[in-house]
Amino acid sequence: MRSLKTRLDDSTFDLNLAPMLDIIVAIIPMLLLSVVFVEITVIDTPIPQAVEKAVAAANEKNKELVQMRLSVAPDKTVNINILDRGASKDYQVAPIKSAAGSAEADLDGLHERIMAIKKDYPDVFRMELNPSDAIPLSEIIGVMDTLRTTRAKNGQSVKVTFTDATTGKPIETNLLFPDIVFGNVAGG
Amino acid sequence: MALGRRRGMGRYIDKRISSTFKIQITSMVDMFVILLVFLLKSYSTSPVQITPSDQLTLPASTSTKDPVDVLKLVVSKTGIFVDEKKIVELKDGVLAVGDVDVNDTQFIRALYTELDEQAKKTRMIASQNTELEFDGKVVMQAERSLPYDVLRKVMYTSMMAGYSDVKIAVMLKE
Repeated sequence: MRSLKTRLDDSTFDLNLAPMLDIIVAIIPMLLLSVVFVEITVIDTPIPQAVEKAVAAANEKNKELVQMRLSVAPDKTVNINILDRGASKDYQVAPIKSAAGSAEADLDGLHERIMAIKKDYPDVFRMELNPSDAIPLSEIIGVMDTLRTTRAKNGQSVKVTFTDATTGKPIETNLLFPDIVFGNVAGG
Repeated sequence: MALGRRRGMGRYIDKRISSTFKIQITSMVDMFVILLVFLLKSYSTSPVQITPSDQLTLPASTSTKDPVDVLKLVVSKTGIFVDEKKIVELKDGVLAVGDVDVNDTQFIRALYTELDEQAKKTRMIASQNTELEFDGKVVMQAERSLPYDVLRKVMYTSMMAGYSDVKIAVMLKE
């Protein structure tokens, strides 16, 4: 008859964790080598193609459409020009001065202006961007981010509504002008 | 009495001999599992690989679009690279006058030659393999402080070579 001590020993066995530890120790260096702490994403910036036929067709079509152009001047002033069925409207967002005294594009002011424009043109998603030669890429990306989506207000995401051309139903989205093209690449 | 003492000593010696101690590794395994989960979460299979460098800091953006596996164009302060091959030398982000075409100041001849070569290669493969097609996509990793002037020239040249769908690589802003 087995003693009580032996039975007690059987019921409290030790799990052998050494093989598991071996595996983990082998995996961790591999993962450490491939780990990234910076996530990379991309922004689409298709360049308009100067194809004769397409230009002719677009010219014909654009008589009925709205064209929006946003330019960033060397002094960081943002100018928005809207060509609405032949009628031109201009808006300007003045730069702000940073604590260091340098001029910076007023992205908050630009966003407010863009939200107001979007209310008037909910079905337009394309914006032509014409930065000046001296503007650094980081500031261009900042302007593109401001144009692309709405900003959350008090933790609540802000939506804009537009009508679906095929179904006629209203659609809510946080997209403002996601289709941004560099208009002045091809000598514009 | 003496026997009793020896028994006591014997027990003591037995205990000492059989004390092949075990390291308590449970807490270590716990720690490793936490580390493993964290590393697996940050494990990246992204096709866009960035080699950290003083000359190349990507701009930060709120864009969440995933990178695609297409031709990589790197514009750093020291040069323009196509698939990690240095094509044009830049001096602190400035193009040398000789690198730009005399008749077209937006056109970088050496970059065009390389991109055209790449486009021809892709088109040739696409002609043999129906699953592949040349879509003119290129991912541009550019230094955040570079002026638009340089990037414009790069984009113009890539457009001339058939790469008109430029995707700008950015770091995801939290």
